Amino acid sequence: MTDKNTSLVQGTLDMLILKTLALEPMHAHGIGVRIEQISKGVFQVNPGSLFPAFKRLERAGWLDSEWRATENNRRGKYYVLTASGRKQLKSETRDWKTQSVAIARILEA
Amino acid sequence: MNVFRHLTAGLKELVRRDKTERELSEELNAYLHNAADAKVQAGATPEEALRSARLELGGMEAVKYEVRAVGWEFALEVLMQDIRYGVRMLRKSPLITAVAVTAIAIGIGANTAIFSLVDAILLRPLPYPESQRLIVGGTQQRGGSGMDLMGTADFLAWRDHQQSFEEVAVLDQASRSFALSGMGAPERIPGVRVSANFFSIFGVAPLKGRGFQPGEDRPGTPGVVVISEQFWRDHVGSDPEVLNRALTLDGKLHTIVGVMPAGFRFPSRRPVDVWAIHTLNPPTARPPYGLVGLGRLKPGVNIREAAAELNDIAAQVTAQYPSSPDLVGVMMPMKEWMISNVSTALLVLLGAIALVLLIVVVNVANLLLARATVRQREVAVRMALGASRKRVVRQLLTESAVLSLLGGVIGLLLAYIAVRAFLAFGPGQMPRLEEVGINSGVLLFTFVVCVGSGILFGLAPALETSRPSLIEPLKDTNRSSSSASAYRTHRALLVFEVALALIVMIGSGLLVRSFVRLSDVSPGIQTDHVITAAISLPNKYADPPQITQFWQQFLEKVQTLPGVKAAGITMSLPPNLLAITNPFRVEGQDYDRNHPLQLAEEMTVSPGYFRSLGIPLMKGRFFSPSDKVESIKDPMIVIINETMAKQHFGSKDPVGFRIQTGDPDPSSPWETIVGVVGDVKYSGLDSGPGPTLYVPYNENGWAMWAREMYLVVRSNGSAPGIVPAIRTQLESMDSTIPLAQIRTMDELLDESLVQQRFRTWLVSGFAALALLLSAIGIYGLISYSVSQRTREIGVRIALGAQGSNVLGLVLRDVLQVLAFGLLLGLVGALSATRIMRSLLYSTSATDALSFVVPSFTLIAVALLACYVPARRATKVDPMVALRYE
Repeated sequence: MTDKNTSLVQGTLDMLILKTLALEPMHAHGIGVRIEQISKGVFQVNPGSLFPAFKRLERAGWLDSEWRATENNRRGKYYVLTASGRKQLKSETRDWKTQSVAIARILEA
Repeated sequence: MNVFRHLTAGLKELVRRDKTERELSEELNAYLHNAADAKVQAGATPEEALRSARLELGGMEAVKYEVRAVGWEFALEVLMQDIRYGVRMLRKSPLITAVAVTAIAIGIGANTAIFSLVDAILLRPLPYPESQRLIVGGTQQRGGSGMDLMGTADFLAWRDHQQSFEEVAVLDQASRSFALSGMGAPERIPGVRVSANFFSIFGVAPLKGRGFQPGEDRPGTPGVVVISEQFWRDHVGSDPEVLNRALTLDGKLHTIVGVMPAGFRFPSRRPVDVWAIHTLNPPTARPPYGLVGLGRLKPGVNIREAAAELNDIAAQVTAQYPSSPDLVGVMMPMKEWMISNVSTALLVLLGAIALVLLIVVVNVANLLLARATVRQREVAVRMALGASRKRVVRQLLTESAVLSLLGGVIGLLLAYIAVRAFLAFGPGQMPRLEEVGINSGVLLFTFVVCVGSGILFGLAPALETSRPSLIEPLKDTNRSSSSASAYRTHRALLVFEVALALIVMIGSGLLVRSFVRLSDVSPGIQTDHVITAAISLPNKYADPPQITQFWQQFLEKVQTLPGVKAAGITMSLPPNLLAITNPFRVEGQDYDRNHPLQLAEEMTVSPGYFRSLGIPLMKGRFFSPSDKVESIKDPMIVIINETMAKQHFGSKDPVGFRIQTGDPDPSSPWETIVGVVGDVKYSGLDSGPGPTLYVPYNENGWAMWAREMYLVVRSNGSAPGIVPAIRTQLESMDSTIPLAQIRTMDELLDESLVQQRFRTWLVSGFAALALLLSAIGIYGLISYSVSQRTREIGVRIALGAQGSNVLGLVLRDVLQVLAFGLLLGLVGALSATRIMRSLLYSTSATDALSFVVPSFTLIAVALLACYVPARRATKVDPMVALRYE
């Protein structure tokens, strides 16, 4: 079976995807590249976990998808952040910030 | 809203599966190309880039699977897949599937049938609104147990002074049927007499008209009746103008004021067609006690408070009638009163059939285990290809569930037929039979039992087959993998099965022993060539001389008929139709107010009664037509039975001594004992010996009781043959009186045993089934073991083993299983049969014979079952066995 050995926990991956799409709609490969770029190579997303994540987020109503023409005149599936997705991103970001502050405090204590 | 979206998205994907699949492939391919392009830009060759991109993706199918697994509809798809695969596998081994389905169908069907009885009779509340507030009340002597009937004086005091009930009413226990005339041929119809507030207690609205109104039970009011829907259809032709029509019951005119709907037949131990008003005459004394009290509690009042209140009221009545015994009030919920005599029996039946189902489950598990070893290779391949053990087990369990649901559906059909047959031909005397049917509760039970059994019998084979060690099964040998642990499980299950079968067989053995003893009990009479019938005189026979004259003439006529040896009438009929009991005191005995009164079975009879039934005379004499007893000045005479003579007179001759009967009163008339007869059973064949009193039917004070009597006639030839002649005589005296309940004495004896006989046959049937299943199980085990060990046996024979050695080898397993199984079964039976104690007549729950005989039978049958496979083992040709690797 596919290994889920991404260094990213499933919940964190969801949040990163939402964040990436907050700027502009993108297709799967683009999202993976963007996450890798912005994290300066720390996070290399496994495509085996990307695609199930997309479906999950779509089912939850935070993403919409549509087929568009890509750069090379091919058809590509683009994901768009929805309004409720934006809300979800905000709340997850808030939670993450609270958690990381707490963890930092514990580690430095 | 989220849930809704999930639901619709899933349904959409289910329907458009192909389109979704195509889109996903397209998306993944696009990803691949994008990734490859990026790599080319970074300097790789197109082929290298594509290849490396593919490796990163990690397998298209795997990714697709993970994506699909996100949606809830995936689980549904997997289930459908498992079911389809399971059905295919089941069709591959049709014989095993057929056997398993049959066994499951029988097991589940029988359980469903019995459960539908238990559900309708024991579990469901009575079909009246707020039925938990319905109470039945009576009185009992202080220090006595159980609940006896109450008298009119007690009821009136209760009705007028109670605060705990919304309504109270009574039912006349002695009223079982009425003579209907004026509507075609005279016949007897089942009915009861009830007081005015009866119908309002139940809260069931009549189909037409009304129930009884308060005050209609006062003396002097015209008679009113309410009829059942059944009666309305059969006897009145569903006439819409039925209200205010007249009906003649027992010779008195009644007006129909209402029709009750089909579901209401209270008291449903004998479904009632007619409820007539019971007139409450102002009491002159506290007895007779013949009424069942009924009431609906006010909300918030509990039964203990109500019983305490009845106690107080009873104490006041005792003060009013100082010579009456000290009575206390007794109350119980109505449902308990209705079902108390069958609840143990039903629960025992349910327990027995549940054991049989367990045996079925074990058998099917073993069947599947045997088949599972055949499938081990297939499963091993699947697991080697990446199926998780959980997945494989889930699929195998789905297969078992399909098997058990299939068996369950057939079983449900069998249960439906069985219940219909039971209602039509079974013992009809159970309460609430009209509520029995296969309803949603029963269906739910069947479903749960199905799924439960499926999991139970599927678990062992599933776990066994999917063992993580894959090496053995995949080795390329023809030798069927001897899975030692599967064999061990198989054997352990068989021990359990043998134990269960033994428990059911012992239960059946106890019932059989008890029944045989019961049917051997002598009722104290000569039962051959005796015909009985019930005759009820209408109200126009209003005073003792008319009643006496009728019987005298009638008996004279009957006695002169050709073929009649003797004829008589009686109030109570053996073996179990006792009408009344009466307290008594022997002259010289002290009366202690604080002890419960001693009661005797008392009945009025004609002089010819004893000879008609062949009751032996021990001392003194029978009654004679020349006895003068009718006037109040005549001395009262009485005949007692042997038990009473022994208990109160020892070896002395009781003839000539005197007794008093009725409520303790020093001024009661003295009755002289003129004879002693042999004991006769009037309260059922299983009742213990007790005192019985006989008085002449025309004795002063008793004649009014002689309106409803049983006729007994002893004939020279066939008993039923003289019935037409008797009927003619009756008609010639009064054509409005029907000759009812015509049965021979042998038939009466049979009828009294109907419940016990039915129980015994049913449980014995279960035991036979259990034995058969165990035999099949043992046969299966030994066949399997022999086929597994063919090589080993071949080697042994080649090395010189004799037939007897091989036999010993093979049988050792069986004997081990039997030994442990018997031990477990005996221990289990010792505890389980204790529950049956109340169903056994003169047989202890640890009756030795009932334990020993089933054990030996089981051993014998088991050894028989091994015979064929064991012989096969001794005939193994070592050359053949060793040739094929």
